Amino acid sequence: MKEPPPALAEMRNIHKWYGRVHAVDGASLAINSGEIVGLLGDNGAGKTTLIKVLSGYHRPDAGEIFIEGEKVRINSPSEAQALGIETVYQEQALVDSMSVARNFCMGREPVKWAGFLDRQKMNECMIPLRALGLSIKSPDLPVSSLSGGEKQGATIARAMHFKAKLVILDEPTRALAVKEVGRILDFVKGLKEANIAVIFITHTLHHVYSVADRFAIMNKGKIVKDIKREEASLEELTEVLME
Amino acid sequence: MKEGSLGRRHEVRQLFSRVASTREAIVFGIAIGLFVLFNVTSGGKFASSEVINIMAISSSELGIVVLGVALLMIGGEFDLSVGSVSAVGALIVAKLYQLGLNPFLAAAIAVGGGIGTGAVNGLVTVKFGIPSFIVTLGALMVWRGFVTLVTGGLTLIFRVGEAHPAFYSVLQGNVGRVSVPLIWVVVTAVILGLLLHFHRFGNHVFATGGNKEAARAMGINTDKTKLICFMIVGGLAAFCGILQSTRARGFHAAQGTGMELIAIAAAVVGGTSLFGGVGSIVGAVLGILIVIFLQFGLIMARVPGFWYNLILGITIIAVVIANKFLGQRRRVA
Repeated sequence: MKEPPPALAEMRNIHKWYGRVHAVDGASLAINSGEIVGLLGDNGAGKTTLIKVLSGYHRPDAGEIFIEGEKVRINSPSEAQALGIETVYQEQALVDSMSVARNFCMGREPVKWAGFLDRQKMNECMIPLRALGLSIKSPDLPVSSLSGGEKQGATIARAMHFKAKLVILDEPTRALAVKEVGRILDFVKGLKEANIAVIFITHTLHHVYSVADRFAIMNKGKIVKDIKREEASLEELTEVLME
Repeated sequence: MKEGSLGRRHEVRQLFSRVASTREAIVFGIAIGLFVLFNVTSGGKFASSEVINIMAISSSELGIVVLGVALLMIGGEFDLSVGSVSAVGALIVAKLYQLGLNPFLAAAIAVGGGIGTGAVNGLVTVKFGIPSFIVTLGALMVWRGFVTLVTGGLTLIFRVGEAHPAFYSVLQGNVGRVSVPLIWVVVTAVILGLLLHFHRFGNHVFATGGNKEAARAMGINTDKTKLICFMIVGGLAAFCGILQSTRARGFHAAQGTGMELIAIAAAVVGGTSLFGGVGSIVGAVLGILIVIFLQFGLIMARVPGFWYNLILGITIIAVVIANKFLGQRRRVA
């Protein structure tokens, strides 16, 4: 019998405590290449904490992480990036006071010699931005001049540009106008077309229902339901969420 | 043809926007306005070469510290200990010279000591998560206490010029009609300007000060970035103290008192944000000019000295209000 290929990323039995709060209580989650997983749950269910373990922002107190079948320790966000995991945090992915180009290459600046910035390469950020359908006029514009949807788009374009295998979107549709939510969902479909896996964190089921291949529902630090889209109805998912 | 010229114009505008923004243009306008105003009130003496030369020397010594303070503020931290650290630097060089050490070596050790105090400020700030405002307020008192203790409040003589004319000319001499401290501040501004605006490190400084969490999430070592900024400020403060003692030919325990607030004032007037993430070296230089113009302009207009603090205070608050207003308008646009 042929074994199935290992998952792109797998978290096994993850625990995370904040002082006396057991924020993540033995959660396990796996995701395959090009798959879109909707990670659902109420505020405080532990979604963001679980994901911050995968993105290197937090160290788990217990549990294991496997990338393409190999056990790894992710000690920092840059180590996660090196493994192809890009995370787009709610409200904190960009520096408002900096230009689009400077934000785009933040932490991975293209340099010419002795660490001096390669402006021409930095301005190439306009290519993925345009590919994603964003009409940002200049790479020198401050990010503070972009709309909420444009900001999310810019962070997604950034993840694509740096050849991510897995993009984690933390509440990307939060505080966005209805029209902009549609754009974000288009970006997510664009990622899937590029064979990039997506974990889409939200507490608004109908935002993710139309795009996700699978749903994982969290409650009190545990994954209480992990179900394929074709096996789940909107009613059933809503019911689990309401519990 | 037309395309090319448009592209060229865009490039020129890009280059300009890299070095200076609307904010700097306004600060530049204020500096020019003050210069013209004081030249009128002093009956044309303000623009004389003697006055400009004196202003150049005083603004250079202060300016070296302001540049460092501005860099650190853009990175999101404060250093209130620069005045005391400048005194520590001056004390080290004067004391080691008294003990018979070569003054160049003594100066190098003093700058190293300044970098060390900066490293302590930085480490305590990032490792214990204490606001740098508090950490460096403590350092201000500790180092001032230290120099007072060591000197017993007495003045140390530092007549290095006679035995080592080379040392004096490198720090306080003249090149043609230009005083050397002015060259030092220009060199410092160019190096820090290149680092901040054209180097990877500068991008990390802006990101760390603008949104620390985002910077961290994108893999920037924000603690290291801040630590380096603190060390740069410490080294520059000590160097400023050495310049002052060389010029004054001595060291006294109160040297550099109050420098920290003037330095922050100049940085803020020059458009550096108190909240981090915003500012420029060009702005800091203009901020220094405005503070120095106010200082000398009011003296030459025979305004009693105590007006200086009052007017400087009002200027700082007015500039911060103007910047806030400007920032809001830009966000709407």
